[in-house]
Amino acid sequence: MSEKIGIYVCECGPNIASRVDVDRVVEEIEKLEDFKDKELVVKKHKLLCSVEGKKFLENEINENELTHLICAACSPTDHDSTFIGVCKKTNLNPYMYKIVNIREQCAWIISDKERATDKAIRYIHSGMSRVLYQEPLYEKQLDINPDVLIVGAGIAGIEAALTLAGKDRKVFLIEKTSEIGGKSKKLHELLQRQGVTPANLKRKISKVKSNQNIYSYTDTVLENVIGFLGNFEVTLKNTKSKEQTEILSGAVVLANGYELFDSKSLENFNYSNSDNVFTAEEAEKMFKEDSKLTMRNGKEPSSVALIHCVGRKEVGYCSKICCSYLQKIAHSIYDHSPKTEILDFYKDMCLPNKEDDHFYKTLKRKSIDFIRFEDISLKGNSINYTEKSGLKKTTSVDMVILAPAMIPAQSTNTLKKMLNLELHETGYFQEPHVKINPVATNTDGIFIAGANRSPCGISEAIIQAQAVAGKISTQLIPGEKIIPEVKVSEILEAYCTGCKSCLDVCKYGAIYFDERRAISIVNEAICRGCGNCVGACPSGSIRTKHFTNSQLYQEVKEALRQGEQIND
Amino acid sequence: MNTSNNVLIIGSGISGMEASLMLSKAGKKVYLVERLPLIGGNTIKSGESYPNMDCSTCLVSPIQQEILQDENIEVLTISTVVGLSGKPGNFQVKIHKKARYIDMVECLGCGMCYPVCPIETDNNWEENLVKMKAVYVPCAGALPNVPVIDKDLCLRLNGGDCNLCVEACMFDAIDFSDKDKTLEVEVGAVIVATGYDTAKNINLSRFGYGKLDNIHTSMEFERLCAPNGPYEGNLVLKNTDKKPSSVVFIHCVGRETSGYCSSVCCMYSFKHAHFVKLKKSDAKVYNLYHDICLPDKSYQKFYLETKKNISNFIFYSNINQIEVKEDNGNLIVQYPDNKGESAIIKADMVVLTVPVVPSNGLVELAEVLDIELDRFGYIATETSQIGSIKTSRHGVFVAGCSEGPKDIQSAVIQAEATVANTISLLNQ
Ligand SMILES: Cc1cc2nc3c(=O)[nH]c(=O)nc-3n(C[C@H](O)[C@H](O)[C@H](O)COP(=O)(O)OP(=O)(O)OC[C@H]3O[C@@H](n4cnc5c(N)ncnc54)[C@H](O)[C@@H]3O)c2cc1C
Ligand code: SF4
Ligand code: SF4
Ligand code: SF4
Ligand code: SF4
Ligand code: SF4
Repeated sequence: MSEKIGIYVCECGPNIASRVDVDRVVEEIEKLEDFKDKELVVKKHKLLCSVEGKKFLENEINENELTHLICAACSPTDHDSTFIGVCKKTNLNPYMYKIVNIREQCAWIISDKERATDKAIRYIHSGMSRVLYQEPLYEKQLDINPDVLIVGAGIAGIEAALTLAGKDRKVFLIEKTSEIGGKSKKLHELLQRQGVTPANLKRKISKVKSNQNIYSYTDTVLENVIGFLGNFEVTLKNTKSKEQTEILSGAVVLANGYELFDSKSLENFNYSNSDNVFTAEEAEKMFKEDSKLTMRNGKEPSSVALIHCVGRKEVGYCSKICCSYLQKIAHSIYDHSPKTEILDFYKDMCLPNKEDDHFYKTLKRKSIDFIRFEDISLKGNSINYTEKSGLKKTTSVDMVILAPAMIPAQSTNTLKKMLNLELHETGYFQEPHVKINPVATNTDGIFIAGANRSPCGISEAIIQAQAVAGKISTQLIPGEKIIPEVKVSEILEAYCTGCKSCLDVCKYGAIYFDERRAISIVNEAICRGCGNCVGACPSGSIRTKHFTNSQLYQEVKEALRQGEQIND
Repeated sequence: MNTSNNVLIIGSGISGMEASLMLSKAGKKVYLVERLPLIGGNTIKSGESYPNMDCSTCLVSPIQQEILQDENIEVLTISTVVGLSGKPGNFQVKIHKKARYIDMVECLGCGMCYPVCPIETDNNWEENLVKMKAVYVPCAGALPNVPVIDKDLCLRLNGGDCNLCVEACMFDAIDFSDKDKTLEVEVGAVIVATGYDTAKNINLSRFGYGKLDNIHTSMEFERLCAPNGPYEGNLVLKNTDKKPSSVVFIHCVGRETSGYCSSVCCMYSFKHAHFVKLKKSDAKVYNLYHDICLPDKSYQKFYLETKKNISNFIFYSNINQIEVKEDNGNLIVQYPDNKGESAIIKADMVVLTVPVVPSNGLVELAEVLDIELDRFGYIATETSQIGSIKTSRHGVFVAGCSEGPKDIQSAVIQAEATVANTISLLNQ
């Protein structure tokens, strides 16, 4: 079949037509010297993206049996997908089409109509040169596995499992310790605002146990994961028996939680295991076990200091929930023995939930002493502090309860390495976009929920787990297929010297090394076509489809051709 | 009866848009109802948004475009939900769609019609900082980029014989025969994502607001700085072309009245401090605060950078003793310092971080939907469960700031959570 290029110049109402001489564009494109031997169809249109315009384009492609298509119109962010949609309704492969932006890049930025027109012609010319080198690409459909692997059976993992498991979807829930429930199981009394008791959590745990579609593995860690969204092959390892299990899943949810900052590592916090200094977690445990606080000598304290923000400066962020959980502990102490003297040392009150202020106010009415400090240090049970007013003071109490910063779990780093993920500078997992893609990772099919993405409380961990479930249930629909990116890279076996330079630059872990043939190979289902590897390969053996060197060269060569003067 | 495959989403802010796109990708048909003529909600009011300070328009407009082009999403602007009956899986919804008087297909958004319109009115969307016409788009770059005619103000629609906009329009897009319509649709689930407003009814006279010039609420300030705002981001003192050389941001204004911390104003005030420095690098900036609220891993860094390079941080001990006065053309902010002693800051602009409150009209909507509100007027979630996004009516879910104040990331997370709940319900 001979080549026949259709070039459609959009007026965009007055947007392009008033600033670019569209008739001259059509005329000059028709008589381009180096396209003399090609068949061209060049037409203008009032508004290509309109319903009528799309119909027009569809008819043109069909009637003229076009082999290549150029739409000279607006920015690709506006209507590239519109015109691709039109191609898909015809026999023209959408990768044989190209949009050329003569609105934002010509009409709107050049006031002189002559020059805007010249530039538009040159752009279209350059697009035509490229489109001739484009190749048809075909989307593939892959079967998917709808099942999900969840790492960590804390509250986030449990919630994700309960939300996702169903008749069409199995869930594998793995937990490194010997029981499911995570840290929230230990909590004495959930934050007041949550208005629930641990019974509620227990109910969730028993639901996990009784759900036939949830397979729980305790004492189990991830050993290896390979694959991509829809098709992961996972190896699990039992930490006691060392036995390995292979499972298949379509997605992986990381819900491996957090740990607490070691307050003993702080210079200004001097205390030993024999002092009555405890972490909030230990205090929670005391309340859970005997509904009261107990000192090392078995007696109840008559004065307790609560210290906020321990390690906040060192870790570099606020842990978000410690202000409210310390208030909860203060409340428990007061409830149990109203005569206990309670000193609450805080720096800022961080109370971002709508219910928090109310609780704080009720506490303020009780005889709790809230002291805002600038600086604080601890020697055993004795506290030196500088008040916000600048006054330095010392006090001594029977018991000190610390709110150490939440820090990423150690397993976060292991998982990062195993799965090739990115971490935020604080050590938590990094989202692909903090605002609009907050529970995903840089690898499609791997998601994060709970305190492994940022410090958070129970209710947020639950909502995040449901958010992950939302992502998975819209991306992996049982029985449906997925269409991976087609503009991916390929490595030409004959040229690859096996230097492995490409392996390091691929952020998505899409390249693996075939030891037997000693070459690198791109896994097309994972590759996003970012082109990083193309630049890294010293032997030039990698090409990204739809962005090949010859395609780019043709386009750039024409845009930069010497001769006529173009200044913009 | 079969479960419907359709979903109703009320409110087209970042939460409503995220939920719409996800559900559409999962093959659901979405009715996205927005009461304003444009979609996008409050996020498009900011020039840039924290923590990574990306340009809000660049972030949101591809999402808006995708929504408008998505064949599974029916966007109903200038519309409100007026009835909901039936049960989960099979709700019947009544939607009142106001006439736009402009043909969405014919109109190119060329903007020739509004300059000629003789009628002027306050532009609420722009926090009343500027006027707009009876035929208008709320702001530059509004999407869909099609104006709307205000039925109550247009001369022609009130018996006059004005024909100016019709004459100005080269595309015959203006259609005075357009009528309000009531649509009835069937859906399986409902997501309420009606977002927030900033408090309008608290008394700010102690802070000089409404009495003195150059005292703004934070949302006004956001619009003053935004490139798509009424002054194209050109921040100047009233009736001058002078940029402010000292600006005070007062934190927690109105928190006593609202009864909660709005959780976003500390961070957006730091963002605003950055804006001031970008507009005028030698300007003095003060954050006058009582508590600092930094509820995410990356927020403290933003705060410390602001403190180090951008703004002075001054602690006040009691919000009730702050007063803003004028003296010789200067604004004087009087506040009790860390020792409780009275101190002052001189400034030429003051910005008040007024509370985030439930969106106007939520009470009426809650009645229509038969869902409960909490004591602040936000949508109440099931009390028997922690971290629930289910409302008191089965099959109706809530996302974003209509549940309580929150930042964009938390709003998006909640939206994604409602999607999981919706899909479980529809696939039952
Ligand atoms: C001054 C200021 C600055 C901010 N800056 C940032 C920032 O930099 N970064 C950040 O992360 N967060 C920021 N935030 C918070 C951010 O704006 C919100 O998190 C986000 O906008 C919430 O989105 P939403 O979809 O829940 O609500 P909204 O954006 O409020 O959207 C709700 C939509 O619903 C519509 N609606 C309301 N009622 C009805 C009804 N009855 N029927 C139909 N439609 C209805 C509204 O018109 C609106 O379009 C800021 C907040 C403020 C006040
Ligand atoms: S939540 Fe409170 S105690 Fe915890 S780090 Fe933040 S300010 Fe400090
Ligand atoms: S193009 Fe990008 S994603 Fe694809 S293999 Fe190369 S580096 Fe990896
Ligand atoms: S007809 Fe109405 S909208 Fe049009 S110009 Fe006249 S008053 Fe304005
Ligand atoms: S109604 Fe007409 S004049 Fe107004 S923006 Fe649309 S096309 Fe332009
Ligand atoms: S976010 Fe900051 S300014 Fe806003 S109410 Fe909370 S503490 Fe006050």
